[in-house]
Amino acid sequence: MIDPRPDSRRNAPAEPRTLDDLAQARIDGRLSRRNVIRRAVALGFGAPVIATLLHATSDMAFGVPTARAEDKQPVSQTAPTKPEGEAQQGGTIRAGTNQEPDTLHPWISQTVTGADVYVAIIEGLLAYDATQQLQPSLATAFSIGDDGKTFTFTLREGVTFHNGDAFTGDDVVNSWKMIMNPDFGAFNQNGWDKIEDITIDGSTVTMTLTEVFAPFLSYVGVGRICPSSAIAAGPDEFKQTYGRNPIGTGPMVFNEWKSKEQITLDRYDGYWGDPTKIDRFIYRIVPDDNTMLVQLRTGEIDLIGSASTVSASRLDEALGFDGVTIFQHSTLGWQHIDLKHVDFLRMTKVRQALDFATPSKDIIEKLLKNRVIPSVADQAPGSWAWDGSIQPRPYDIEQAKALLAEAGLTPGADGTLEGKIPTEDPQVGDGEVKPFAIELWFVAGETESERVCQVVAQSWNSIGVKTEVKSQDVSTIWGPEGYQFTENMTGCFYAWYNGNDPTDKFYWHSSQIPASTTGSGGNLPAYFHLYNFQEEIDRLTDAGDLETDQEKRKAIYFEVQKLLHEEVPVVFMYWLVAFPAARDTIGGYQPNAFTYLTWNVNEWYRAG
Amino acid sequence: MGRFILRRVLGAIPLLLGVAVLSFLFMQLAPGGPDAMFARNARMTAEQLEQIRHNMGLDQPAPVQLARWIGNLARGDLGVSYSQYRPVSEVIRDVFPNTVLLMAAGLSLALVLSLFFGILAARNPYGLFDNVTSFISYFGLAMPVFWFGLMLQLLFAVHLGWLPSAGMRDPDSGGILDLLAHLALPAFTIAIGSIAGWSRYVRSSTLDQLGQDYVRTARAKGVAGPAIIRRHVLRNALIPFVTVVAIDAPLYLTGAVLTETVFSWPGMGRLFFDSLTVRDYPVLMGCLMLGAVLIVAGNLLADVVYGLLDPRISF
Repeated sequence: MIDPRPDSRRNAPAEPRTLDDLAQARIDGRLSRRNVIRRAVALGFGAPVIATLLHATSDMAFGVPTARAEDKQPVSQTAPTKPEGEAQQGGTIRAGTNQEPDTLHPWISQTVTGADVYVAIIEGLLAYDATQQLQPSLATAFSIGDDGKTFTFTLREGVTFHNGDAFTGDDVVNSWKMIMNPDFGAFNQNGWDKIEDITIDGSTVTMTLTEVFAPFLSYVGVGRICPSSAIAAGPDEFKQTYGRNPIGTGPMVFNEWKSKEQITLDRYDGYWGDPTKIDRFIYRIVPDDNTMLVQLRTGEIDLIGSASTVSASRLDEALGFDGVTIFQHSTLGWQHIDLKHVDFLRMTKVRQALDFATPSKDIIEKLLKNRVIPSVADQAPGSWAWDGSIQPRPYDIEQAKALLAEAGLTPGADGTLEGKIPTEDPQVGDGEVKPFAIELWFVAGETESERVCQVVAQSWNSIGVKTEVKSQDVSTIWGPEGYQFTENMTGCFYAWYNGNDPTDKFYWHSSQIPASTTGSGGNLPAYFHLYNFQEEIDRLTDAGDLETDQEKRKAIYFEVQKLLHEEVPVVFMYWLVAFPAARDTIGGYQPNAFTYLTWNVNEWYRAG
Repeated sequence: MGRFILRRVLGAIPLLLGVAVLSFLFMQLAPGGPDAMFARNARMTAEQLEQIRHNMGLDQPAPVQLARWIGNLARGDLGVSYSQYRPVSEVIRDVFPNTVLLMAAGLSLALVLSLFFGILAARNPYGLFDNVTSFISYFGLAMPVFWFGLMLQLLFAVHLGWLPSAGMRDPDSGGILDLLAHLALPAFTIAIGSIAGWSRYVRSSTLDQLGQDYVRTARAKGVAGPAIIRRHVLRNALIPFVTVVAIDAPLYLTGAVLTETVFSWPGMGRLFFDSLTVRDYPVLMGCLMLGAVLIVAGNLLADVVYGLLDPRISF
C-alpha cells in the first residue's frame, strides 16, 4: 500500500561511464543527463566540462549517492570520537547550522540552536551529560532536604566570569530575581517560580521552595547563571544587549556575531576546569541543506549536530562522503497524531480503532527505512521512566472495523461511516447523526509528514473514515486560526520534544488546556471537551511532579504510559532519530539526545 | 532640476505612508501571529504569555499599534525586533551592507555583460553570435536560480575547488581577495537572470535605433560601424534600458532570498524571509519601508539619468 519512494533507486550507478549506464539512467527517469549533454555539446563545451557537469548532476541534484549505501552505515557513538593521529593543541573547529539563533540570551532564547552556542559560554549550577545524568558544574555538590522543598548547593570556589567578576551566590540570587521580573519577560520561569527564598552562607546557597516540585533540578539546577554586573543594567537594557554579547563562566568567551553569517567563540584561559584544546569555535549559519552537505564535504565545516543534523532523506547521499562519519542517536522528540476530543473522537473505542488502522509499522519500515523508533507512549526508550513492556497495537483493519461497529458507527450511502455523536456520556452515542469525516493536518513544508499523512489517510479512508489531508505554515497552524480551535474532528501529525525530566503535565493535564484561542498550554485536543480520563491523568501527572523518590516516581509514569496506551488520546507513532555528522579529523565529539551541541567543547580537538 | 527633485521627494512622503499602512494591514490580516509559537512553548504559563504580549504591545488594538509605530518612525525609531530582542535599526544595519555589496557586484556584472552581449548581438542580427546568446539567454531566464547556484557550487567548489562554496568570508584569511572569491558565485547567480533579460532588451533597442534615418545618414556620410554605435546609437538605445534597470535595481537591494540562501549570504532577503516565518512584525515593517524608499529613490534616479542622456527631456 505504500508507494516506493522516488529515491528508492539508491543503488543506481553513480557515474554512468558507458552508454549502457546512460540508458539505465534514462530508464530510471533521470532524463536530464541527456539534456545536459545535448545542451553542453550545443554550447561547445569540452569533454572534461561535460563529464564534471554530469557527475555534478548525478550526485547532488537528484539525490543519488556517490558511494553505495551499504558500504557505510550511521555510527552509534557511546564515547567521544577518537580519530587516528595525535590530538592537536589549538586550531579552529567549525560547526554548521541551518537556523540562526534568535539570541544567545539563555533566559529568552526559544531555539535549540541558541542553546547549542550559549552552553559553551554560560554555565549552570549543574549540567546534564551524555547519559542524562546530572553532573557538577558551578556547584560542586548539592543536597535535597527531607521535606523535598530545600535544595542546598555548594558553589565552586575561584570561578570568574569572562569580564573578571568573581562568581558568588549573589549571581544566583540576582539571576532568580531577574527571571521572575515581569518587565524582563523570561520565557522559562519553570522551577524558578517555585522558589520562595534563597539564602547565601559563604559558598553555600540554599533554595527554599513553596511546594515540592520533582523536576526542579532539571529546570533550575541546569538553569544558566548570568553575572550580577550585566543584570544590573535593568530589564530592557539587559534583554536587548546581553543576548548579542553574552558573558558567562564557560570554557569559551564570546568574540563576535556576524548576523546571518557566523558566531565566533574563543578559548577562555581563566576557565575553572580543563581549558579547551581548540583556540576557536565558529558556528556558521548555512541555511540551505544542500549547501550544508557541500560544505561538510569540502571541509568548510567540520561537524553538524543537535539543532541541525542530516535529514533521513539525505542520509544515503551523506554516507557516501569521504572523510565524513555520520552518527545516529535517539532523540526526545515523539511524532504522533493528536485527536481532537470532539464527536466520535471522544469515544475510547473509536480512538483505539484509529490506532489499529494506522499502519505505523509499515510506515516505519518502508517509508522511513527503520530510521525512527516505534513509540507507544510519551517516555523515551532507554530513559528510566520508560515502560518497555507495552506493545504497540498491530495494524489490524478487522479489529478496527469491529471497534467502530461497537461504537455504533455503520456505513452510510457513500460508504462513509456514520452514527450518533456522544453528548452526555463520552462513550455513548446519543446525539445527532453525523458522518465520520476527519481532517488530518501537518505543518506545511515538512515533506516527510506529508507522505506519512497520505499513507494514514489512505488506510483510514479504507475503513470508512473520511480523511482529508491538509496543511498550514507553522506560525498559522499554532495560531488562533489553527485547526485545534475549530470544532471539527481533526488529527494533526507533529512532534513534541520532552525535556530531560519525565514530567509530562504539559501534554495532558487539564491546567494545560488553553483558556482561549491565544492561551498557552499543550493540551490542545481537550480544548472543547475534557478527556474522558481527565481526572485520572490529572491525578497521575500531579503525583509525578510531587514525588522525589525515583522508584516511586517511575511507578507513577508507568501507570501514565499504560493509561495513555489504553485510552489513545493521540496515536503514538515513533521517536525521531537524529543523524549528526563530523569530519574524521575531529576528536572528542559525542553527539547524544540529552545535551546541546557544545556541552563538552573543552574535550574537542583536531587530530592530524 | 533641484526643484524637481525636491518635489519628487515631498511627493514620496504620502506614498511611503500609504505603503506603511497597507503593509501593516496585510500583516494584521495574515493568520497566526508572533505569539503563536510562544503559546505552544512547553515552558510557558498563561501569565508569562500575557506579560510577553504586553511587553510587545500586542495587547493593544491594531490601530493603536499602527499609530504608535508611525509615531516612532517619525522619530527615526523602528522599534525592537520580536524575535531578536534588539532594535530593528541594528538588525537591518547588520545585514544591509552585505546586500549592497552583493547587489553592486551583481548589478555591475549584469550591466556590463548585458550591454556587451546585447550590442554585439545587434550588430549582426540572426548571425551565429546572436543565436548563441539568444539560446543562452533563454536558458538563463528559464532555469531556476537555486539549481543554477547549486550547479556552480558543485563545479567550482566541489569538483574544481577554485572557489569557496558559500558564506561571505573565510574565518581564517578574510582579505579582499577572499571576499571577492566568495562574491563571485552568488554575484553571477544573481546577475544571470538580468544578463539574460537585459541583453535581449539592449539588443532590440539597439536594432531599433540602427534602423533609424539618422543612422542611415551617418552611414552615408561614411562613419564607421563601431563609431556609429558608440557615438550615436548607444545614447538613444540606453533610454528604455535605463527604465528597465531602474525598476529592477531596487529589487536587488531588497535581497534575493534564494541566492542568499543557497550561498549562505548574510543579506536582506534572508532577513525578510526569516522574519516572515516567525511573524516578526517590526523587522518586516522596517524591511518593507526600506524597500519602498529604495524603489522611490531608484525611479527618481532614473528620471535624472534620462535628462542626462537625452537633452530633449528637461524638468
